Amino acid sequence: MTRGRAFTALRRAEARAAWGFMAPALGAMALVAAGPIAWTAWESVHLHDLRMPWLDRPFVGLDNYREALATPRLIAAAGHTAVFAILTVTLEVVAGLGLALVLHHRRRARGVVRAAALLPWALPTVVVALLWRFAFEGPASVANMTLASLNLADQPVAWLSGAVTAWVPIVLADAWRMTPFVALLILAGLQQIDPALHEAARLDGASPWRAFCAITLPLVAPALLVAALFRALDAVRVFDLVYVLTGGGPGAATEPLSLYAFDALMRHLRFGYGSAISMGVFVASFAGALVWIRLMGQRALVREEA
Amino acid sequence: MRGLLPLLLLALSACARPSAAPALTLATSAVGREGALVQAQLARFEAAHPGLRVELRSTPDEADTRHQLFVHWLNAHASEPDVLQLDVIWTPEFAAAGWILPLDRFEPEAGAFLPAAVEANTWRGQLFALPWFVDVGMLYWRTDLAARPPDDLATLAAEAAQPGPPSGFVWQGARYEGLVTVFLEHLGGFGGRILDDGGRVVVDREPAVRALEYMRDSIHVQRAVPADVLSWQEEHARFAFQNGSARFMRNWPYAVPLLSDPAQSKVAGRFGVAPMPAAPGGTSTAALGGSQLAINARSDQPELAYALIQFLVAPAQMIERAQVAGQYPSRPSLYDDAAIRAALAIPAVEARAIVERAVARPATPVYSELSSILQVHLHRALTRQAEPRAALGTAAVEMRALLSRSGLDAEGGW
Repeated sequence: MTRGRAFTALRRAEARAAWGFMAPALGAMALVAAGPIAWTAWESVHLHDLRMPWLDRPFVGLDNYREALATPRLIAAAGHTAVFAILTVTLEVVAGLGLALVLHHRRRARGVVRAAALLPWALPTVVVALLWRFAFEGPASVANMTLASLNLADQPVAWLSGAVTAWVPIVLADAWRMTPFVALLILAGLQQIDPALHEAARLDGASPWRAFCAITLPLVAPALLVAALFRALDAVRVFDLVYVLTGGGPGAATEPLSLYAFDALMRHLRFGYGSAISMGVFVASFAGALVWIRLMGQRALVREEA
Repeated sequence: MRGLLPLLLLALSACARPSAAPALTLATSAVGREGALVQAQLARFEAAHPGLRVELRSTPDEADTRHQLFVHWLNAHASEPDVLQLDVIWTPEFAAAGWILPLDRFEPEAGAFLPAAVEANTWRGQLFALPWFVDVGMLYWRTDLAARPPDDLATLAAEAAQPGPPSGFVWQGARYEGLVTVFLEHLGGFGGRILDDGGRVVVDREPAVRALEYMRDSIHVQRAVPADVLSWQEEHARFAFQNGSARFMRNWPYAVPLLSDPAQSKVAGRFGVAPMPAAPGGTSTAALGGSQLAINARSDQPELAYALIQFLVAPAQMIERAQVAGQYPSRPSLYDDAAIRAALAIPAVEARAIVERAVARPATPVYSELSSILQVHLHRALTRQAEPRAALGTAAVEMRALLSRSGLDAEGGW
């Protein structure tokens, strides 16, 4: 009993010390994360329009959220964001896995290849967006020349002014830029796999495909899921790429949520309404991330028990 | 440590406000020739006001970015800069927000300026800014290919559709503010308007539908306008015309000196400018752009600030601006001046004819949002995602909802 009580006291002291150690980190998080989020939440339930100061800043409850949900342009923007996230994350994870496998198996000149693969990732997004814009803009662009030389199109395509075709440079640019990042994450996962497993498979006469499906894929899955989570969170917030490449056009056909929120906040100075949209994006991506992490956690547990 | 202290003091002194001579601050775009011109004019102003310093705050050239910067400053109630260079469409927004001073107490000579520009700077009956220089949309045509510019929009489309190069009529068709100015000119050409005199939305009426149908068909049916313009801004259009690939161009006056420079232009000496043509029953229309000067409402020295504005918009400075930067004076009387006639690369009669056709965009504090609605729906129609009539109908519904939500539909004040 006494030993138990002393143990509890010790634990309590340790807990106090732990809180003390964590305080600076918690304080920093409160300052840079919790504070601004709380402020945004507060703004989102008020009518705050810089252009009309005579309206003051009255509490309007959920009016801003209601207006947002009744705005077709916002619903469309949410759809665009989802489509963009699904397309780019799928492309990047598949291509990233391929690239990682190549990097993993190519011993020679791995450093050079890895550096070359990382180059697109190191470029500023705006530069990437401009590069891809040039590649798809005008009748003499790289994209149109390629199509013409392959006899796939008799007329040059005005990529950026088609509601569907405008997505091609956006998705390709994102995939081109972020695949190396995904590949690096997956490569780290690949290098942790015990080579003995593959050796055993080979001795047992398993085909390379069978070994890939039964050994590589399940063991690299946690890295894949982490990479997909990172990319999905980034994709939901996509802004600069679209801003430079299409500006959300043609019409509003490629406008993602963040660009719409930026318009409401920075161009139209509707702080309350813009904050409501930002809160929506935040809550949705946070909830998505929580669910994803939970799923990943369960997978990890299942594997440990097995 | 000892080495750090002077550094720290230096840093602190750099942060401290210079308190010696009273300083006025002017926030403007200050690049290239225009920047050097402003510096020279400010030096003359300082010489005329001993003991007064004027600091130039260089701000981004791109309109959206400068707008954001100004909003940050003014919303924070900063007393600097004292004088701001505003785009023509910002004045009502800044005036309604209480960020700039009404100029009536200084008794400005409003009658000396272009009426459309004065109207654009007026909010609720008060004048809030003075026009520094004006921009107008005009038609650039090739003097080596035709004896005179097209008389009406139908002829323009027919001539532009002829095979080239040079072929095609290029304008600013990306989804941004420039598209609204191009639309405004076509709209006027068909006799339509965005808002009527009572401030009611009339952009879904018949003339507007026909104007937008004309614009769409000239791209997709007649192929008089290359589809690429749907992602173009001013400079894209200028390059196409300058390289000799386009036959007609709609652009602002800034392109004239650049196109006249044989070092970079293939059409130097082979182009002219004319008012944008109209359709039968419409009026030839030029969208009004340009820069205004206004006083920060929190300025500590509004009188001095007004003196500076008065100096900058005086005839002498305006003539110099036309000579150095090719920017059009906002005083109609100056177009008779010999110096201006020599300075503008086009005959002053033509310039004046275009300037007098200038039409301001709606003067309202919610203009940016109104324009954004219009931009999206115009662009949807031009990229064939919607029929012009349906697109303008939806735009009008959204614009009316915006005006009524902002309490701006009933009161008027346009």
